[in-house]
Order: sequence, then structure tokens, then C-alpha cells
Amino acid sequence: MSFRPDFLPFLLAIAAASFLCRMGGFWFMHFVRVTPRLEAALKATPLAVMIGIVTPVAARGNPAELAALAVIAIVMRFSPSDLIAAMAGVAVVAGVRFLSA
Amino acid sequence: MDNPLPQPAAAPPPATWAGFKRGFLPAAALSPGNFIYGVAFGLLARQETLSVLEAMLMSVLVFSGTAQLTAVSAMSHGYVGFDAIASITAAILLLNARYLLYGAALWPWLGSAPTHQVVPTLFYLGDASWVISMRAHAAGERDLCYVLGAGAATIAPWLLGTLTGSTAGSLLANPAALGLDFLLVAFSASMGIGMLRARPDWASAAAALVVSLVVDRLAPGGWTIVAAGIAGGVVTYIRYVPK
Repeated sequence: MSFRPDFLPFLLAIAAASFLCRMGGFWFMHFVRVTPRLEAALKATPLAVMIGIVTPVAARGNPAELAALAVIAIVMRFSPSDLIAAMAGVAVVAGVRFLSA
Repeated sequence: MDNPLPQPAAAPPPATWAGFKRGFLPAAALSPGNFIYGVAFGLLARQETLSVLEAMLMSVLVFSGTAQLTAVSAMSHGYVGFDAIASITAAILLLNARYLLYGAALWPWLGSAPTHQVVPTLFYLGDASWVISMRAHAAGERDLCYVLGAGAATIAPWLLGTLTGSTAGSLLANPAALGLDFLLVAFSASMGIGMLRARPDWASAAAALVVSLVVDRLAPGGWTIVAAGIAGGVVTYIRYVPK
């Protein structure tokens, strides 16, 4: 059990960001209305962020990661569970690394 | 466009133990998934050099799976200094921008409740507990503690999973062999496919893709995520066609 003092600003910043998002929408409703246009834009950001996470890894083109992304797409085709698909992808990365080690 | 602002009832909503239990039960059914997700986060946190205490604090204070995975995955680029903290904070603001909508949608229900009840209710809100609550509200549920109960049911498995994963991670010789550094990418890919299937917003997705390729080439690191998120949101905002 240890806690690094230099980790504290990082932890507090992400906690504050998370807190702000949770309280912000509710608080803003005191003053403004979420227009359908703004609502559509807010709904679109998580997918865009996830594309921003996946793209750099895919662009690097390592076989283990590319194979895993293909497996995730296939699993998602047949199962609605993103947890199962993600775990299958992690298993593929681990498997390919094990075989090529 | 001109439908009136939904207003909360003048009287504060009821807040009862029975309501808490009504919300707790349907959300508790999702515990196995939350536990496994927590274990995975705990293992990755250990791999990225977080102590068990640090991982647990993060799960208590942030309480958001994707945000925590993003933060922990970014720590290998550094976590000290303005640039590292600013880029990850911006990324999490975008990643959790959907909570702005969740909160706004709960306004007609919780708007007249006292602040000391609203803050914990919103703080421990998650994607699943929000969906469950909104469904219950449509079916006539008005008890504030329903939302709190649904959120509470997801806290225990998340913390227990974090504790299990981060403790187990300390015992593993080579956690990288488990492929957990790929966890965030794996979750992003599978959730992204699910989102595209539910709402195929291809223009927004294409903008995010192009921007991430460019920014990743110019300035690799946390800002790629931020730029992609803004690009996707802006394109959707501009292209929006009122029905």
C-alpha cells in the first residue's frame, strides 16, 4: 500500500473532469436547454473518442493487434456483448504474443 | 425545436428505502460484468505501476471504466506536469461528455430534490444505471433513491473487481503477457462497433478517423483522442438536420 505524492494532481484532475461531466448537464438545465443539435453532437463524441483510441494502434499495424481487432469485429457481429468481444481481443493479443515470443 | 423546457414537479421527489431497493435489483444483475471489468482495470493499473491503494482511490473518485482505462493507459507517456495532465483531463471531459446528457435527462425527475441528495445520485451514475433509471421513469417511477440504488449496485462489484485485479497483478511476474495493455483499445473497438450499429453516424466517424491519423502522425500521445472527439462532435453539430 503506497501512494506517490506526484500522482495526486493527476488523480484529482481526472476525478474533477469526471465530476464536472456528471454534474454539468444537470446544473446547466437551470439556465439553458439542450437543443437537439447539441444533443446529437454530445452523443457523437464517445464514438469519435473511441476511434481516436483505436486508430493509432491500428495504423501501427502490428500483427497481434490487427488480428485482435478483426476478432473483435467478428465477435461483435454475433454477440451483443462488448465485454465478451473485448476479452476475446485481449486473448488474441496474449495468444499471438505467446506464439511469437 | 420549440417544445417547452421540461420542468421538474414543484414538490421534491420521494426518497425511500423501498425505491432504493427497486433500483438496486435490476442493476445488481449486471454485477458479473462489472466485476470482470473491474478486475481487468485493476490488473492494468498494476501493470502501469499504480499501487493497490492508488487503483482503489481511482475507482472510488472517478468511477468510470473507460475514463480510468484511458487515464491509466496514458500514464506510460507520463503523468506529471501540465501537458500530461491537461491532455488526459481534456480526453476524459470528451469521453464523459455523454454524462452531460444523462444529467440533463434526469432534470425533470430530480430537479426539485435537495442538493445533498442530487450530488451523490449523479456522482455514482453509470451508463447502465442511467438506462435502467430512464426506463423506470418512463414506466412511472418517481423515487429519487431508485437512481441512487441502481448506481449503488454497480459500485460494489467495480471496487471488488479493482481490488481483486490490482492485488492479483502484484503477484504476476509478467502482466504484459496477458495483453492487458490492449484492453482499452479492445473495449473502444467493441463499444465503437456497437455504437455505430445503433446509430450509424458515418460522417462523424470518418472525421474522427482522418483527424486521428493526422494528429497521431504530428503529435502522438493523448491529444489524438481529444482531437478525434472534437472532430466527431463538430461534424455532427454542423451536419445536423432537424426532423
